[in-house]
Amino acid sequence: MKTRILIVEDSPLVTDAFSVLFTEAGYDVDVAATVADAVERGSEKPVDVMLLDLSLPDGDGLEIMEALRQRACLPRATLAMTGHSDAKSRRSCLEAGCADVLVKPVPISELLRQIERHLA
Amino acid sequence: MTMTEQLDPAALQQRVRALESQAKEAQRAIDDLKSRDALKTQFLSNISHDLRTPLAAIITHAEILREGMLGELTPKQRDSVTGIVSGGQQLLDMIDEILTYVRTASDQVNLARSEFNITELVDQVRLLNQALAARKRLTIERLNGDNLPPIYADRDKIKHVLANLIGNAIKFTPEGGRVWVSFSRRGKKEDELVVEVGDNGRGIARDHFELVFREFAQVDASPSRPHHGTGLGLAIARKLVELHSGRIWVESELGKGSRFFFTLPLDIPRDQ
Repeated sequence: MKTRILIVEDSPLVTDAFSVLFTEAGYDVDVAATVADAVERGSEKPVDVMLLDLSLPDGDGLEIMEALRQRACLPRATLAMTGHSDAKSRRSCLEAGCADVLVKPVPISELLRQIERHLA
Repeated sequence: MTMTEQLDPAALQQRVRALESQAKEAQRAIDDLKSRDALKTQFLSNISHDLRTPLAAIITHAEILREGMLGELTPKQRDSVTGIVSGGQQLLDMIDEILTYVRTASDQVNLARSEFNITELVDQVRLLNQALAARKRLTIERLNGDNLPPIYADRDKIKHVLANLIGNAIKFTPEGGRVWVSFSRRGKKEDELVVEVGDNGRGIARDHFELVFREFAQVDASPSRPHHGTGLGLAIARKLVELHSGRIWVESELGKGSRFFFTLPLDIPRDQ
């Protein structure tokens, strides 16, 4: 079965680009643009990797982690993506259970490498 | 004004009232300017953030093409797509600089201080700039500093300052030139560290020593200037150094090179 990746991001421009990237890289891609949508998709089918944008229109991306944890549906690895790297937001992501925090935009070779690394 | 006028209580009262109303007016003008400034800052912050997202998408699409994920490219096509990626990246760096400026200018910056070795940090920034320097056949040396005590400062912010000064030095030094970093200590108890970033590039005229630290200022602001940028780098560096109670300045001679200096306190407060 293909590795399933859930992209949580509210900009369709970015999700379009990522969908092309991950489909071509051989992943099964799903997209969510809001906290509510991500929780629903994340609990429907098991997710291997979740790419998580932190600022979403209906709340903080980290709320998704908590909701999925309560439903026992946490992805195998969650990579948070933020616009800027500050130590505080990095710490709160790691505390919430993210495997890593990447600063946007992540070069695609780096992104694919990180995903492989966290799935291994 | 004569003595009689000065002692006339009615005239005095009138004068006081006039001054009070002027003070109120001045205060209103200040408040108005402050709120306009806050609006401008908010606008810059929003627009920078909103520019970043589509740009990130453009870069990702171009990278997908460049990596041949949608089919092999001819060498010419690959060069062209590589141009899109590097142009996008450059634009992104400028947007990030504006965002950093907005944060520092609106005092949204909190220092996260820790003890660290500044010579190691300098070496790290040198390494990050090695490729850029090599392209211009420039050397970036660290002249001393092996036995410096640790400093107590915000590592990321000081890294930003060093990266900016070293980046500028590389930018304004012609091929084959020299860029260096050196340290000295001063003050009665040698409790102030002076960091110097020097180069033997084109230099800065004395009239421009202050101007270069002003926001949006560029010595050559003409559209045909050879070096483009936001003109915010040194304004940000100054703000970050001042947040650490330090000073930043430049000494330079046209045609001979520039030496940028900044100071940082060396005493580590033990109660923090």
